Amino acid sequence: MQIRDYILRRLIVLPFLIVGVSIIVFGLTRIGGSPVAIYLSHEMSSEEVAEIEARYHLDEPVPVQYAYWARGVFEGDLGWSGVAAAPVTAVFPNKLAATMELAVASAVVAVSLGIGLGTFAGARRNKLPDHITRIISISGAAMPLFWFAIVMLIVFWVYLGWFPIGRSTPEIFASIAHPTGLYTVDSLLAGNFTAFRDSVWHLVLPALTLGYGATAIIARMMRSSLVEELQEEYVDAARAKGLAERLVLRRHARRNALMPTVTVIGLSFGFLLQGTIVAEIIFRWPGLGRWMADSVLRGDRATIMAYVLFTSVLFLVVNLVVDVVYAYLDRRVVLGS
Amino acid sequence: MTAPATNPPKTTAPVVASVRDLRVHFKSKGGIVHAVDGVDFDVRDGETLGLVGETGCGKSVTARSFLRLVPMPPGIPVSGSIIFRPRQRCSSCDGAGCPTCAGTGRVVSPCPVCAGSGCDTCEQSGAETIDLLTIPERELRSIRGNRIAMIFQDPGKALNPALSIRKQVAEVFYAHRSDELLVSAGIDPGSGSMPTTLLRRRATQQSRTLESVLLSLPPLRSGRTAISEAADDRVATALAETQIPNPRAVMDRYPHELSGGMKQRVMIAMALACDPDLLIADEPTTALDVTVQARIIELIKELQQRHKTAVVYISHDLSLVRKVADRTAVMYAGRIVEVGDSEQIFHEPEHPYTRGLIDAIPGAHHERGRLAAIEGTVPELIDPEPSCRFAGRCDYAASVCWTHDPTLGPVRDREVACFIHHPPEHGEAPSFDRTVR
Amino acid sequence: MSTTSASPPIVGAHESAIRVRLRRMGETAGRVLSNPTTLGGLVIILLMVGMALLAPWLVEPNTPNASQMPRDWGAIAVPPGSPGHPLGTTNTGGDVLYGVIWGARTSLRLSLIVVSVTVAIGVAVGSLAGFRGGRIDEVLMRIVDVFLSIPELIFALAIAAVLGPSFRNIILALAIVFWVKYARIMRAQVLHVKQNDYVDSSRVIGDSNWNIFRKDVLPNSITPVVVQATLDMGNIVLVGATLSFIGLAEAGLAEWGVLVSEGQAGISGGRWWASTFPGLMVFLWALAFNLLGDGIRDVLDPKTETR
Repeated sequence: MQIRDYILRRLIVLPFLIVGVSIIVFGLTRIGGSPVAIYLSHEMSSEEVAEIEARYHLDEPVPVQYAYWARGVFEGDLGWSGVAAAPVTAVFPNKLAATMELAVASAVVAVSLGIGLGTFAGARRNKLPDHITRIISISGAAMPLFWFAIVMLIVFWVYLGWFPIGRSTPEIFASIAHPTGLYTVDSLLAGNFTAFRDSVWHLVLPALTLGYGATAIIARMMRSSLVEELQEEYVDAARAKGLAERLVLRRHARRNALMPTVTVIGLSFGFLLQGTIVAEIIFRWPGLGRWMADSVLRGDRATIMAYVLFTSVLFLVVNLVVDVVYAYLDRRVVLGS
Repeated sequence: MTAPATNPPKTTAPVVASVRDLRVHFKSKGGIVHAVDGVDFDVRDGETLGLVGETGCGKSVTARSFLRLVPMPPGIPVSGSIIFRPRQRCSSCDGAGCPTCAGTGRVVSPCPVCAGSGCDTCEQSGAETIDLLTIPERELRSIRGNRIAMIFQDPGKALNPALSIRKQVAEVFYAHRSDELLVSAGIDPGSGSMPTTLLRRRATQQSRTLESVLLSLPPLRSGRTAISEAADDRVATALAETQIPNPRAVMDRYPHELSGGMKQRVMIAMALACDPDLLIADEPTTALDVTVQARIIELIKELQQRHKTAVVYISHDLSLVRKVADRTAVMYAGRIVEVGDSEQIFHEPEHPYTRGLIDAIPGAHHERGRLAAIEGTVPELIDPEPSCRFAGRCDYAASVCWTHDPTLGPVRDREVACFIHHPPEHGEAPSFDRTVR
Repeated sequence: MSTTSASPPIVGAHESAIRVRLRRMGETAGRVLSNPTTLGGLVIILLMVGMALLAPWLVEPNTPNASQMPRDWGAIAVPPGSPGHPLGTTNTGGDVLYGVIWGARTSLRLSLIVVSVTVAIGVAVGSLAGFRGGRIDEVLMRIVDVFLSIPELIFALAIAAVLGPSFRNIILALAIVFWVKYARIMRAQVLHVKQNDYVDSSRVIGDSNWNIFRKDVLPNSITPVVVQATLDMGNIVLVGATLSFIGLAEAGLAEWGVLVSEGQAGISGGRWWASTFPGLMVFLWALAFNLLGDGIRDVLDPKTETR
């Protein structure tokens, strides 16, 4: 079956792409100065420096260094993070959980608002809701997240005081166990409503802010596909059958309009992923993004490598999933380029 | 044209639909286009009325107006009316055919105001009279797909590519035969109990998300499945009626997996599923191969006779319409120019445009040589002046043709809109004897 | 139906090819600008570019290094409307208006350099891959695929990080990341155009590959590149400002991202202006180029939505 071949083909290519990315990432670490600079200090003697360099195989030819590094990655050793003062793999899960929570919340906001807004606007073409949606969409694509987040902070945190900053109130956070690392889930598991409310209240502002850009592009695509679908003959044919307009919109027009929108949703995932870096800085969210930002500023190569590798793999996998879902939805699609 | 002895002759059968002075205009960059500008014709019970004209003459817009499918921007709210007199199943024979209903199985629904005796609402006809252009949306919806159905030109475009055939055909039953579905599923539609309410909402396609979730749980699940199966049965029957081989297998397919002819059969099945009084066929065979065309036309004819449905058959192909329709209305530039018995029109066309159309058909009676085309093109219908729209292309046009609109008037057995047959009081009238080209 | 009988006069009967092309470009431009939002975008762009070019005359350049923020230690963190500082000052006494205006200059330089370089390289690589096909195509496209597997911002971030924090390195990082997009676009266009008959007819005539490329393939492939380049003029500044916001540019640089970052400290104290105005400029810049790019796309690529 065609879909199966398509998935197979993509799956086979995937590891090669990942290897390619790892080569680039590795190459980056060898540019611009010694990769172990973060572990060195001025007081060390030249013997100590040489010893550290040998430990990290810096005396070997480059391809061998790559092999050492790659083997290390497979074994779960991603190096030592100077910023976190701990092995990368030890710190990674917790920070990942924090970022995932934020990313998922933003995605939920973006997809539901985006599709809802797009449908609402598409069905009322050129009327007021449509114009408002269009303004939101256009501004969303051009919006610098770092500026938008600061403005949101100023309005909602400094002046209105509606929402807090950061991920949690320390005392409340400490009062429950954290089996999954996801504050919202853990508080529900513990049956602690105060903690749950705390987690949600801290999530609202960052999720809305981070989700805004994605909402905009999703709404825009949804609106334009819906407008296109509504001009198709099968919509009139459905009306001619005596179906309620709501049903015609939902089951016929929107269902077909969702297909191109699905690819945009996949695209916006990349958007969200990159946005977490800035959002976590501004909202003081203890996740991967802020860790990466600190690492960038302080030359923590291990973290940078791990982060780039991780996000690229994630990016590739999500894109693959989106393409497969799209192929499944649109049976007519000719798969492959 | 012979009619079965038990049926009343079609030309004097009661009128099922009546278009009166229909005007539909469109906003466009250049001005207001008068796409349909004063169209009148009747459709009689059980007959096939052909609506013929070249592209752009307004026949599709007229057809879509029956079910108010003309998009209102850019369309402008119409004037005129489309009167519809629905039928109902004859209670004496329950649709089988008897003297009361003259064998058709259907009687005219009595007017609710005067209970059939005659009043102003029903224009003294005693029949339930509805103006399709003004009834509220909700009532219109109960007529669409139910009492009046439509089939479209390109079945590939008129079927939703994302839904299976089963789902699309079943929609008609869910929309209009929900009570029957419930009964077939063993559920009493009248009962007010909670499970029945939920199931009834399902049968009418009104279930909200929460309700759908509840319906997937075991106690209600069997009811839901029973309704689906009842619908499936009806879908299979409807498909089988249009001679689709192996209906159960076809039901599970998607439109793109079917051939053009099959898709059109599906459309026809959907349209006739609820036994409508009137079927609007908008160029149903134009998008099909010639060999398939003939079969589809045969199918429509057969089903029409079986269901006693009136059909408005739209086409640009005059020779095709001649074979299919009892009566024909010829349309040009937004107006009807000639209406009458199909064979008669073909043999003795009375309007210059009709004459030109028939002459243009390549046929045995022409010698080899030039094709006789009608000179000129359809005029742009933006803010038109009063004048006969055909005047610029007419071989017989006189001065009055350029300054006045001709209206339909009787000529022997038919109606024609031309000053040749109905000379004006003042001004020089045209005549067939005086050609100006 | 009679046809026009006069034959065209000999003089001026054939407009030279260049005149025709110019006239058509003018018509296209007219159509693009007939859309009010597109026109608005262009107006904003012109204002900003004007501001960038006229910067030395609009504000007193900070000698000796004009691209560094001036320091007025007598007016620290004053609000907008204060004398001499219409938009206020930063925590270190830098005039926000100065930053806004000189930031435009920096942004213009950034986007022009990056876009020119990426378009040149991308178009070259993409054309080569598309035109030659075979091995070369395979290899080049594998490289492109790998580059595209890394999210853009993160890639640029990593490159700029290892190269060292400086504005020049930001330019370099962006160039490395963004050229692949054009390679992809150009290759797809070349492949598509190659199928056309006019390419075959040129070959039959015996035209060289380079000529075919120049005359037949290139002019017909260039539309999506133009659209993307316009959009990128905006996006590059957006990403560049983000990189400087995170801290990869020199401190004290008169650049919008840097200013927003430096203004962050004052937020909790209610000193909003140091971050808000420069950030607003980034938004307007990106918005304007997005509007213009969309407008061009609507006219030149009719497949997309009709309003």
